[in-house]
Amino acid sequence: MITSGVGARSDVELRLPADGAYAAVLRTLTAGLAARLDFTIDDIEDLRIAVSEAAAMVLDEADPGADLVCRFRLMPGELGLECTTTSAAPSTPDYDSFGWQVLTTLTTEAVVEATPGSYTVRIAMRSSLDLQ
Amino acid sequence: MTAEPRASARSAALEATRRENARLFVIFRDPDASAAERDTARDALVRLHLALVDHCARRFRNRGEPFEDLVQVGTIGLIKAVDRFDTERGVEFSTYATPTIIGEIKRYFRDKGWAIRVPRRLQELRMQISSATAELTQSLGRSPTPREIAEKIGCSVEEIIEALESSNAYATLSLDATDDSDDGSQSMLDAIGIDDAALEQVEIRESVKPLLEGLPAREKKILLLRFFKNMTQSQIAEEIGVSQMHVSRLLTRTLEQLRTSLESD
Repeated sequence: MITSGVGARSDVELRLPADGAYAAVLRTLTAGLAARLDFTIDDIEDLRIAVSEAAAMVLDEADPGADLVCRFRLMPGELGLECTTTSAAPSTPDYDSFGWQVLTTLTTEAVVEATPGSYTVRIAMRSSLDLQ
Repeated sequence: MTAEPRASARSAALEATRRENARLFVIFRDPDASAAERDTARDALVRLHLALVDHCARRFRNRGEPFEDLVQVGTIGLIKAVDRFDTERGVEFSTYATPTIIGEIKRYFRDKGWAIRVPRRLQELRMQISSATAELTQSLGRSPTPREIAEKIGCSVEEIIEALESSNAYATLSLDATDDSDDGSQSMLDAIGIDDAALEQVEIRESVKPLLEGLPAREKKILLLRFFKNMTQSQIAEEIGVSQMHVSRLLTRTLEQLRTSLESD
């Protein structure tokens, strides 16, 4: 169990082809990690949706043949995720998009970073047990 | 003007088929005919009615299974119909065979569905999770964690995660059934449908009951021992005093009978 031996924090990294077909793998891993961090069932379902949105935003900007790199930060009652890909000319983030609305609603923190060469979405979510 | 001769030509062909059918069944059912003669008659009967299979299979096209496979499966139904047809009953063979052929094709669809279903263990666990989640949500006043559910049910967190994952897979499958409107947080679990499963059971039980009562005493006993007392075939064989192979045959035959009667309803 991650939670039993949890120190300051621990990290998990996942590298996937930047292809929507692998989004399910990312969702499954996220749910598995969140369950071990004592997120509630509702939180986990929210996270699955948030991760899908984050991944979709990043995949849209990925160069052909690029990888999607996902880094999880695991802390007691909190999960952070950074999804990044190589993107030669990323478009500026659309903060009015539906996806972004969903993301900011479901997470405690959401950041987009578009710099020449890379496109990154960072999200963090606290367990609702922790917020009480 | 052309319609009339064509119609009469068709009824003549139909009459010829009917006569041929009657002739073949006489040979097939003749206790004095040789095995070879009867086999030939049986083959001819099956071939004579292949068009019927084609016709039935056509009704199930565009449902995701190759037409040729449906014809194959339907032909098995036809063979069964030939073997079981009672010439004394005064019904047309095609009237008798059509439900058997369609039943066989339907069963094929059903069994294909089974192959991609979630294992029974997970299905049951998912139901347990669903009711535990509802209870815990009540008592805690919030959504429970997988750990809390695991403690309530008495299994590991891993198993809960696995089952939750499978319910997502289940939902993906049911997208085929145009059930894709769920996006609420509880919807996956809700979609498991405990009520549905139980309802289905009731229906099956109710329709099986009269059929069970119609079974010979020994067959009924074997079914009871196997499925209600959960005895193995060998144990049943010992209890009844026949070989295990015989129990196996009787079971298969009885189940087959039940299934056919259920489907023809």
